[in-house]
Amino acid sequence: MSGREFWIDFIRTYFMIVTLITLAMCIVGKAMMPEQTFGYEAFAAPLLNGLVGTIPNLVLYSKRELKVKELLVRKILQLILIEIGILCIALYGSKGSWLDPLIVGVLAGCVFAVYAAGTLISWLVDLASAKAMDHALAEFQRMNAGGDQSQLTHVPTQITFR
Amino acid sequence: MEIKIFKVGKEKPEEVEIRCHEMTEEVREIVAFVKTRQGQLTGMLEGKQFEIAVTDVAYVEAVDNKVFLYTQKQVYETRQKLYELEELLREKFFLRVSKSMLVNLMKIKSIKPALNGRMLAVLKSGEEILITRKYVGDLKKALRGERV
Repeated sequence: MSGREFWIDFIRTYFMIVTLITLAMCIVGKAMMPEQTFGYEAFAAPLLNGLVGTIPNLVLYSKRELKVKELLVRKILQLILIEIGILCIALYGSKGSWLDPLIVGVLAGCVFAVYAAGTLISWLVDLASAKAMDHALAEFQRMNAGGDQSQLTHVPTQITFR
Repeated sequence: MEIKIFKVGKEKPEEVEIRCHEMTEEVREIVAFVKTRQGQLTGMLEGKQFEIAVTDVAYVEAVDNKVFLYTQKQVYETRQKLYELEELLREKFFLRVSKSMLVNLMKIKSIKPALNGRMLAVLKSGEEILITRKYVGDLKKALRGERV
């Protein structure tokens, strides 16, 4: 992935996260705490959470194309960094007092579940796409079999110049 | 180098003749270009030059400014650039699947997902080639018969 592609992806992800957090705050807030009011500082929460959720994307950047195993390791590292970031925000929100281990566990579990679900959905979409491409490939090879002699064996001939 | 083109009748075979003082890099490039157009690639192996049928090449890879042709049995080095081969082999079912690789679509056995929107092309030889996200769209188009 080129640097330009990476940053386009980074910015796109950031604004997606900010939008989804704002939407989640609106829905959950209306359902659970409809009387709660906030000051202007509330606008900063989705922006900050979005940044914390997006900055770990930096570990996925590489000038050369990563192998599947390398990418998997980096994705695990990304998840760990997101977990740390979200827990730091929660700690900051608790005004410095230590968080209840149960809340920490639930929060970490939620982040993991969302991340795992996102990765799984993305993989399932790719799987469906790969299956469709497999069918298209079989058809493509059948249609072009006449113009291809890949079933025949050719003996490479050495070239000599007079 | 002077270029002369003579029209010949249908009864005579078409031919390209190169008259040169010595076998320079430029002449080798011209020969390679003509051979590629005829379905042959020129590759080097252990200091010897070989003609390889395009249909025998499974994929082409650029590594450290060198370009290699991979057949089922051998790996040949070619003097042609990857972008030149991309243009020349477009009509021979080759497609770029990453920054450094072209693959022969007729040599792919199946496609499976890799992470982050990328795909893996499993070749008939069992080798796996990564198709980067940028080129997945091009592959879909090529398989639908659309021009990439």
